Amino acid sequence: MRSVFLLTVRQLSGRWRLAIMAILAALPVIGTLNLLMDNDAVSVGEFESIVLSGMLSGSIIPLVVLAIAAAAFGNEVEDRTLANLTTSPLPRWRIALPKLLATLAIALPFIAVSAFVTAHAAFLSDTRATLAVTLGAAAAVAMYAALFVWLGLVSAQAIGIGLLYIVLWEGLFSNYVEGVRLLSIRAYAIALMHGMDERRFASVDHLNVWVAAGMALLVIGGSLFLSVRRLRAMDVP
Amino acid sequence: MSAPSNAVIRVDGVSRWFGSVVAVSDVTFDVMPGITGLLGPNGAGKTTLLRMMTGLASTSTGTVTMFGEPVRDNPPLYRRIGVMSEHETVYGFMKGREFVTMMARLRGVASLEDAVDRAIGLVDLADAQHRSMETYSRGMRQRMRLAATLVHEPELLILDEPLNGADPRQRVHFKRLLLTLAEKGMTIVISSHILEEVEQLADTVLLIVNGKLAASGGFRAIRAALNQRPYHVRVVCDSPRKLAASIVALESVDAVRIDPDGALVVLSRNVVDLQVELPRLAQAGSISLRKVEPLDDSLESVFGYLVDN
Repeated sequence: MRSVFLLTVRQLSGRWRLAIMAILAALPVIGTLNLLMDNDAVSVGEFESIVLSGMLSGSIIPLVVLAIAAAAFGNEVEDRTLANLTTSPLPRWRIALPKLLATLAIALPFIAVSAFVTAHAAFLSDTRATLAVTLGAAAAVAMYAALFVWLGLVSAQAIGIGLLYIVLWEGLFSNYVEGVRLLSIRAYAIALMHGMDERRFASVDHLNVWVAAGMALLVIGGSLFLSVRRLRAMDVP
Repeated sequence: MSAPSNAVIRVDGVSRWFGSVVAVSDVTFDVMPGITGLLGPNGAGKTTLLRMMTGLASTSTGTVTMFGEPVRDNPPLYRRIGVMSEHETVYGFMKGREFVTMMARLRGVASLEDAVDRAIGLVDLADAQHRSMETYSRGMRQRMRLAATLVHEPELLILDEPLNGADPRQRVHFKRLLLTLAEKGMTIVISSHILEEVEQLADTVLLIVNGKLAASGGFRAIRAALNQRPYHVRVVCDSPRKLAASIVALESVDAVRIDPDGALVVLSRNVVDLQVELPRLAQAGSISLRKVEPLDDSLESVFGYLVDN
């Protein structure tokens, strides 16, 4: 597993990719500082809705994770090096799991720092609030990563499909269509943040924290299972 | 078809199609110990067949077994086989030695450093092992990929067009290495679209044309069939009518025609005889030969002949 993990970390650590991720991860921090410096300061509820829900959980996290996760398998399929791994005697889960872990190893630090600094600044160093936002964001990273790693394995258009999913499903439908919230990673992340600090998103209807935790595990486990199944059945180029 | 007990690979009624395109059609053969050459023109279906033989692609119908086990979705089998695909892509950010070491780790090699040293030594790339693979020539990449394929000492080696990009010196080294490995008991399957390449290496040849197994067996039998086929030979000279009159009398010549550009086109069933007689006749008639070229010596025409017959 270590070899696949280290290989994937090196594959995903391109300078340009890391630079773009750093810029994206800085946006919620910049947005928060901008709001704090504004004389007509927004309410806590508005801040949570605009920055934590819309910007961080609904846009920045999925975009950063998509840029990395889709390439975890996608690049190997595209440049035809995946056969180096699939012609090894490793059980397929020992290929899929380190790919996911490598994605997390790259994406998580960017998002964790971004979420931590954003919450720390916005909630005036409130430790509980900061931890709730950071851990909720980390859970969102894990869910999006598992989903997009699988997507990179099943489609050569993973980036395009992922962008459509982020804009339409997480950005549009989960905001305005009631039932979609049950199938939205952003909604799970918000419910988890609320579960760890009930003052957060207090005015929003959200899922029960245990349902959200269960769904998060289902998304991660289910996507990993589908990746393993795909590796076993696919024609490797 | 019953498999001989020592068959290493058994391909049984295998077909593969992509939509309405049939890439491989009802192919059955056994691969025995030694070197087997998979020969066919580009686009004949060799790579598709090799991918099914190595478990990288599924069959539409039929089965492939290796050492008596199904090859598809059977990762433990890869401990016993080494696969080198035709794609030359490598991890450009890795040094040659790093690549071979990683492949050894993935294959669970015990004495890692020794195995890596041995494999890199086999392909004669010890001097370049600490260089980034991005800086390698095409031939060097192929050799380092072969080292990575050999690092776990497989019993069976499957190579898809391994000599692509190799220069003449590398080709000689490559062929010598494969022959040595075969002598040591390794079963090797090698695909190529170059007749001579396979002839120098393989004990047994499988000819694939249009996705079908056109012929199989020892190289001599196949070569004999090739020598009996009719050849068209184009001859440019200063007196085509005079030469045509002499040539048509030869027993080995079936027909002669003169093209509008003045060139002779000779149809012969015994090209060896023609090679001897043509200069003799030209010399006897004081005719100056400017060009003698086979018109249908491409591999495709050879395969076409074998399929038709």
